[in-house]
Amino acid sequence: MDLPAGTRNFSYAEDMAIFRTKTQWVLLFVFLAVLFTAPLYLANYWLSVANLIGITIIAITGLNLLTGYCGQLSIGHAGFIAVGAYTSAILNSRFGVPFPLALISSGLVAGVVGMIFGIPSLRVKGFYLAISTIAAQLIIIWVINHWTEMTGGFDGMNVPYMSLGNLTFRSEGSQFYVIMVIAIVTLFLAKNIARTRVGRAFIAVRDNDLAAEVMGINLFRYKLLAFFFGCFFAGIAGSLLAHWMRFINSESFTFSSSVLFIGMIIIGGLGTTLGPILGAIFIRLLDVGVTRLSPALDKALPGLPSGFTAGISPLVFGLVIILFLIFEPRGLAHRWTLFKSAYRLWPFSY
Amino acid sequence: MKTKILMLPLAILLSVILIMTPFVAGCSQEEDGGTLKIGSMTPATGPVADKGLAGRHGLEDAIKYINTELGGVRGHPIELVYRDSGYDASKVVTIVKEFMDEGCLMFTTHSSTEMSYAMGIANDAGFPGMATYASPIIYRPPRHIYGQAPDYGDDWTAFATYYMKNIWKGYGKPKMALLLLNNPTGKGAKDGATAMADKLGIELLTPEEHASTTISEMEALTRVKAKNPDVIFISSTPAPTAVILRNIRDLQMSNITIGLGHASLTKALVDLAGADVAEGTYGVVSTAAWTDNVPGLAKAKDYCQQYNPQDSGNTDYLSTWTTALIAAQILQHAVDNVGYDKLAKGDAEAWSAIEQNGIQKLSGYDVQGLQGPVRYTVGDNRLDKLLRVCKVTNGQIMPITDWTEAPLIKYEEFSWFGAK
Repeated sequence: MDLPAGTRNFSYAEDMAIFRTKTQWVLLFVFLAVLFTAPLYLANYWLSVANLIGITIIAITGLNLLTGYCGQLSIGHAGFIAVGAYTSAILNSRFGVPFPLALISSGLVAGVVGMIFGIPSLRVKGFYLAISTIAAQLIIIWVINHWTEMTGGFDGMNVPYMSLGNLTFRSEGSQFYVIMVIAIVTLFLAKNIARTRVGRAFIAVRDNDLAAEVMGINLFRYKLLAFFFGCFFAGIAGSLLAHWMRFINSESFTFSSSVLFIGMIIIGGLGTTLGPILGAIFIRLLDVGVTRLSPALDKALPGLPSGFTAGISPLVFGLVIILFLIFEPRGLAHRWTLFKSAYRLWPFSY
Repeated sequence: MKTKILMLPLAILLSVILIMTPFVAGCSQEEDGGTLKIGSMTPATGPVADKGLAGRHGLEDAIKYINTELGGVRGHPIELVYRDSGYDASKVVTIVKEFMDEGCLMFTTHSSTEMSYAMGIANDAGFPGMATYASPIIYRPPRHIYGQAPDYGDDWTAFATYYMKNIWKGYGKPKMALLLLNNPTGKGAKDGATAMADKLGIELLTPEEHASTTISEMEALTRVKAKNPDVIFISSTPAPTAVILRNIRDLQMSNITIGLGHASLTKALVDLAGADVAEGTYGVVSTAAWTDNVPGLAKAKDYCQQYNPQDSGNTDYLSTWTTALIAAQILQHAVDNVGYDKLAKGDAEAWSAIEQNGIQKLSGYDVQGLQGPVRYTVGDNRLDKLLRVCKVTNGQIMPITDWTEAPLIKYEEFSWFGAK
């Protein structure tokens, strides 16, 4: 039996490659084959869950760059997603801007708005910065509610389907392809940002901003850049969310969503590319599970006290998150790394 | 260390089993034959759980009653596919798609906000839906979404009409302040007021909006007080309404007449605000009061007492109990007109049959007196048009008028109306 015994690289390009072994390439192709044939065997409901997971991955990949890599805590991410959603909806439905252009614009506008709200990051950090990002969410939602002629205010906005030229993505399956392709591109970009000078600067700022400044890193520039990248991806996710949901109002972007996004990247693994993927999948599927748990328990155990099962769903949801934080504070990505190490070194201890 | 390595995958495995249990349970239920499926969601958790949980109980108990005591619908039990929306927009979108995939014949939502997220998808697919609480935006112009009862715009019109006829004794136009929830519940009332205020001779002050999570509206009420209003109308849910009523008392504005929309005026409001604070408040309801003497109340009270006694007196429980009865009547019409086999497919053809041969065949079903008779009128997707005004007296929500019909307002003819 052949066992992996390390990978030797002969060039810098090989050393820097994301996928370095044949096994990794094979696994990638198998994964992509399974992913892109999903509309053939998944029902619309599961495709819609997958689409929501894809959009969430894009959103929290941005948050991971901002918080996980650069250490700038943001609890207003849903606000930046809202900026992207409304930008895309307004450009596409009111001004007839094609969807792809509206998509990019939503990322850029959200990125710029993120930079503006990121300015306090030079003076404040930690909880203080978190408070200023909460303020960002409140201000954004207030503007959405009161800029009625453009956003529809409390009435909300109807949003057209995603489209590319004459091709309109009406079905859940076709939207799945758009969302997954964009999610993969997002992850590729995020992975490479993290490996460049910018990414290393982010990590330096996160680990010790004073030391980073002494080493010549321009804190203001890199912190704002982190806000731009983080909110750019949030904007892209917002645009996709709006065109997927087809109706948006300010209540679609709640403060609790922002907190949940933080939870996702912590559970997935802060400062890793894999973290947002695992975190989004875990939390979204857990949510689907607990939503079904209550009616299933009611049917299985009719003698339970009234209201018990309705209460047990959020309880299980919270409990699972707490257990994860206790037993695996470094996130699912770390667990995956340990698993890979164990596989590589088997039968020896890691 | 080895133990830890073993324990963690075990914990993950247990979590997965826990999560998967309902899916497996769901699969086994699909094997049942001869049922008629309806999908229902209520916000049983989240910011309006005070309404959504009682709403869930009302639905489930009514389906239990229909299946056990009435023998289902023409011998076919109703299978309720219930989901808690958590008042979350993206979750509502996935739930509607689940209902369509599961072969549900129609779906119901408890809150108008849930329906506002669901309606785009449902309308495009031709999947008929019925909202227990409705706002004009969900069915003007009418498509595949229906309202079980009059909407929040009708609430305003009914209260304003009563106020002008019975309470206002001054000269000129009375000044009315609107305190509105920042979603279709509030916006629906604003739409009604904007459309009808001039006609009724009421001067509207600038509306004040609040969130469902508000803990104080002192600032907004201070602005309102400065404008010296004669009457305040609140269209919201019980928790924020209770906050507003307490703030009104604190600001010593108790000489002002207060009217509430039907989503606010529930037992939960009286419990949350306190009977003394809610005392004397007017409001509009579309369902029978728990103190009424109507045939349908006896069963509702029995089931409520047996399964969910804490919901006794709760308007939301009764509203969704009524939702289930109306859904059963719709299914019965459809079974009678097209037969079970056509409906059993649960596809687009079945949805069309439900709408054309079920919903649109409703012609005066009395809902056992629990609300006004339901009937479909072409161009008007409100299945019930009757409302009555109530007043909180000695901690009880007591009706003070008979049922009166809310006029049809064609909002879509106003340029300001609707999501653009």
